[in-house]
Amino acid sequence: MSGRSLNISRFLTVRAAIVAVLLLVVAVLPLFVTGTDARYVLKVLTFVGINVLIVTGLALLFGYAGQVSLGHAAFYGLGAYASAYVTATLGMPWFVGLAAAIAVTALGGLALAVPSLRLRGHYLAMATLGFGEIMRIVFVEASSITGGPDGFSGIPLPSLGSFVFATPQSIYWLVWGVAALAIMISYNIVSGRPGRSMRALHGSELGAMASGVDLVGLKVRVFVISAVFAGVAGSLYAATVGFVSPSTFTFHFSVVLVAMAVLGGTRSLAGPAAAAILLTLVSFPDIVLPGLSRDILAVVQDWEVDIYALVIILVVLFLPEGIAGAGRRVLGLLRRGVVEPSGSDSGTGQRGDEA
Amino acid sequence: MSLLEVREVTRRFGGLTAVDNVSFNVPEGEICAVIGPNGAGKSTLFNCLTGFDSPDAGTVTFAGRELVGMRPDRVVRAGVARTFQNTQLFEEMSARENVMVGCHAKTRAGFVSTALRLPWTVKEERLAAEDADRLLRLVGLEEWRDAPAADMPHGLRRLLEIARALATQPHLMLLDEPAAGLNNSETEALAHALYRIRDHGATLVVVEHDMGLVMEVSDQIVVLDRGCKIAEGPPRLIQKDPEVIRAYLGEEDPEDV
Ligand SMILES: Nc1ncnc2c1ncn2[C@@H]1O[C@H](COP(=O)(O)OP(=O)(O)O)[C@@H](O)[C@H]1O
Ligand SMILES: [Mg+2]
Repeated sequence: MSGRSLNISRFLTVRAAIVAVLLLVVAVLPLFVTGTDARYVLKVLTFVGINVLIVTGLALLFGYAGQVSLGHAAFYGLGAYASAYVTATLGMPWFVGLAAAIAVTALGGLALAVPSLRLRGHYLAMATLGFGEIMRIVFVEASSITGGPDGFSGIPLPSLGSFVFATPQSIYWLVWGVAALAIMISYNIVSGRPGRSMRALHGSELGAMASGVDLVGLKVRVFVISAVFAGVAGSLYAATVGFVSPSTFTFHFSVVLVAMAVLGGTRSLAGPAAAAILLTLVSFPDIVLPGLSRDILAVVQDWEVDIYALVIILVVLFLPEGIAGAGRRVLGLLRRGVVEPSGSDSGTGQRGDEA
Repeated sequence: MSLLEVREVTRRFGGLTAVDNVSFNVPEGEICAVIGPNGAGKSTLFNCLTGFDSPDAGTVTFAGRELVGMRPDRVVRAGVARTFQNTQLFEEMSARENVMVGCHAKTRAGFVSTALRLPWTVKEERLAAEDADRLLRLVGLEEWRDAPAADMPHGLRRLLEIARALATQPHLMLLDEPAAGLNNSETEALAHALYRIRDHGATLVVVEHDMGLVMEVSDQIVVLDRGCKIAEGPPRLIQKDPEVIRAYLGEEDPEDV
């Protein structure tokens, strides 16, 4: 017993070390991005951070609580427009725009939670898809607020007090800082009581109710958190790009987000984050392979949707538990081989996550 | 006063009256069995007592509180826990985590306090884990602590569900066919677990097909047939009741579910 908890604590130390190294790499990366296309590379890496933030919220909703959302692009859009309206039209500071994005998407999450109380599986997917489409139409039609199909331009850069995030580096750090904070919050949630009730909900609704879990309150909270993460991402997106239009917040993007969550795997935060990084970079292969010719780049971007579809098919066929499942297997082997040579381990930790 | 008072509970599904005007009392500290052939309405009755279903008529009073119309999780918080005929475990979670979910009724860390990792939430987690380990020992599952529920043998899964129900600290436990699919030694272990649970102060209502177990553990038996209560009394009398014998002889296969 004491030997085992020793092993577990050593394992946790290894994990903490990995997290620290990853954080360091993410933090210092901009310092090594130099050259003529540094601006572009940093912009792409910032998009990667925005997608990691959204997918972390989706990991809570889908990966832990088992609730499907095919309308998450709508929350991203709601956050972007709310923030844009408050900062550009009303001339308020970015922080207020961010607060508005949080408030509006929390309400949106509440609205989407209502069908989830009655529907599950395919029916819930359809309801969330409908929600996403309705919001997209609102973005187009409410042109006095959103700028309609032409979009909303002239959105000020993010700022805190008198500090303006004007350089690509500072914006990168802001976005990734927020993403890291979201992952940390999510990690605490999934390793505690709320996360356990989310996994219980995923496992058996009857069993969860019989254990005293208030399913209504739980679903509402998870939908709200997940929506708010996307809304914060939207606020960051609007302020860093300076322009938003309805074509960004489509069903297509919702599907891309779900693809990231599926590729990442359930009951994990690290898996979906890794998947968000990978799949976002698929659209920008010239970042990973700097020498890539413009022609190849154009082909890849033309076939982007097909590449995502292919990824999903390959994952379902060969990696059904996603990146997280593969990671868990590798970690399991490592723990048995290196940490616990006796091989008497019957379980894989008491947490059930690999964040 | 009885801990549980069931008064004239009726539940209809279309033309079928699954539970028909059933009344009985369960005194505190006793083990009460509800028996009857398949389709007699036992599970439907349990659902009506625990908020998973609401009766078309009748009242269910637990320690002076009306349970009809209460949400299942509220019923649990009021002190009534249950298990299911088809076990409802969280398959991908470890045995310990399954039981820890049962602790939810008595713990309170929410999203915000957990996200902030407030010290009291960390302490509450530790206590819940200790509680879970204690309950796993009580039902004899300590060796399975870290195994996913999906990997556990059928008989032990029923014990795990009982441990999870116990974690809600119930005053009344309703067990729906806890011995279904158990072999003799497992049934024996179950009987001992039931005594231990009663000795810990919980009152038990058990739906059971296994007559041996029923006759051994119960203080009182309620017999249902086609939704109606046809007999009630201590095991000795029920065994000889002609109505009961007729209801059971008329049934082909008492084992299947
Ligand atoms: N949700 C339901 N809808 C329609 N009929 C049901 C439903 N649940 C149970 N029944 C019927 O009610 C009767 C009693 O079922 P049940 O309570 O499961 O019996 P038991 O647990 O005693 O075997 C059966 O005839 C069953 O088919
Ligand atoms: Mg039944």
